[in-house]
Amino acid sequence: MKEVAVLGVGMYRFGMWADVTNATMAREAGMMAVRDAGLSFGDVQAAYVGHIFAQVMSGVRVMKEFGLTGIPIQRIENASATGSAAFREACLAVASGRHDVVMVLGFDKMTAMIQQSTQGTAPENMEDTILPAAFFALWATRRMHERGMKPEHLARIAAKNFNNGALNPMSQRQADKPVTVEKVLGARMVAWPLTTMMSCPIGDGAACAIVGRADLAKKLRPDRPVVRVTASTLQSEKYAPGHLFIGPVVGPARMSVDSSKEVYEEAGVGPEDLDLVQVHDAFAIEELEYYELLGLCKPGEAEKCIERGDFELGGRVPVSTDGGLIARGHPGGPTGLAQIWETTLQLRGEAGKRQVENARIGMCHMMGGGSVCVIHLLQRD
Amino acid sequence: MRPMAVETRPRVPMKPGLFTVPDDPREPPKFLGSKCSACGEHYFPRRAICARPDCLSESTVDVEMGPRGTLYSYTFVHLPLFGSTNLEHMDGYGVGQVDLSEGPRVQVPLAGKQGDFRIGQTLQAELDTLREDGGRDIVIIRFRPVEGAQ
Repeated sequence: MKEVAVLGVGMYRFGMWADVTNATMAREAGMMAVRDAGLSFGDVQAAYVGHIFAQVMSGVRVMKEFGLTGIPIQRIENASATGSAAFREACLAVASGRHDVVMVLGFDKMTAMIQQSTQGTAPENMEDTILPAAFFALWATRRMHERGMKPEHLARIAAKNFNNGALNPMSQRQADKPVTVEKVLGARMVAWPLTTMMSCPIGDGAACAIVGRADLAKKLRPDRPVVRVTASTLQSEKYAPGHLFIGPVVGPARMSVDSSKEVYEEAGVGPEDLDLVQVHDAFAIEELEYYELLGLCKPGEAEKCIERGDFELGGRVPVSTDGGLIARGHPGGPTGLAQIWETTLQLRGEAGKRQVENARIGMCHMMGGGSVCVIHLLQRD
Repeated sequence: MRPMAVETRPRVPMKPGLFTVPDDPREPPKFLGSKCSACGEHYFPRRAICARPDCLSESTVDVEMGPRGTLYSYTFVHLPLFGSTNLEHMDGYGVGQVDLSEGPRVQVPLAGKQGDFRIGQTLQAELDTLREDGGRDIVIIRFRPVEGAQ
């Protein structure tokens, strides 16, 4: 197997961009990544396109923005984990020796999707009576019952992510002054105990990564450290009693545990070796549960670690350093690639005011409804 | 005062194949599920192949489950219920995960206010009208806490 590196990254800032098309966002993010890699589009040998709210042909059509070079193009969809799943396929294509330089491009306009949705009268809307916010609120209620969690713990996570987002120019939500626990708790209630500020916003955006042979990375950009992809996994659910077959479902919890064990083993590291972590924090309760499921703390200790500031910038292992889904945003297809963008910049030492000092190993964790768990470990030389 | 006449319109499920719609409105609905003939696992909704990785039997039989269950977790959503024109649903609605006595966990709306729900309480299934359509009531299944039950 060939060693794989992230050669370049690019983003079109997530936001409510009513007048900007998918093609424009994708082109700008893609060309940023190509230039960042020190390449031109003519060097790209294959493309994996992550796009959720898709028309037929949307993968190949948007790729025409870069020029028609005849390369293989595949569209990948795996709900929230779409960009992460596409990234994995690109890494496998390089690792197998099939291609040397591959583009992974994610884009979506969730604002347009919501405008186009029906009034909820079709039989297939039966499941829409349970919103994702309600599903994750059920996690929160259960956690309060079993572990004595308080809404303040969730608010502390959300405030952290808002404040990290304020240090990231690509973050959708940009707080003009430090966000407090009280402010998060006082925001509008969506599904008790989750407020709007404990939930990710809807938005539009694009993100791109160029992955390629690790030996190319040093040649193309000798001026900076090589960021390798040292582990990759994608798991779907294993049946266990209590499994939910209907509704917006992410889980079971076991999936994050098993997936993280797999990547730790593949890379020969443990959770104590991680310098920073990005997770699927669509709702603050998720981030709290993932602290434990990914092994960042022991089961039952998440609340104590939150109170101690373990996962804040400057803490033991910073999580959602770019603002996470809650602040940086979650348009869909590009979300997992925004995690790769952030982790790559951090490992290169290019993350500006939110830089994690001497960051060497980063984890990117995404969940996709249905559900799947995708995890990548990135490591600099 | 004369008692009001009770109008009963025909009731049809929003999506067929998930729950029963009894002719007698006083009778609670049941969940349409499957039982694996090989290992005995119960499922909602119906499925042809057992999902247990150590079983995967292709022999399942149709069963009806419920109408009672135990509340595993709950929330209250502060938005109107999607697809409903029922005034009762405009200020929000409860949602719960409920363990049926046969085993499966289901995720459905709950009748009542946030303060009415407790983890571990017994609930009973009922049909709830989302809207009227051509003289028929479009219904979904939900659970309501059982008064006095543990």
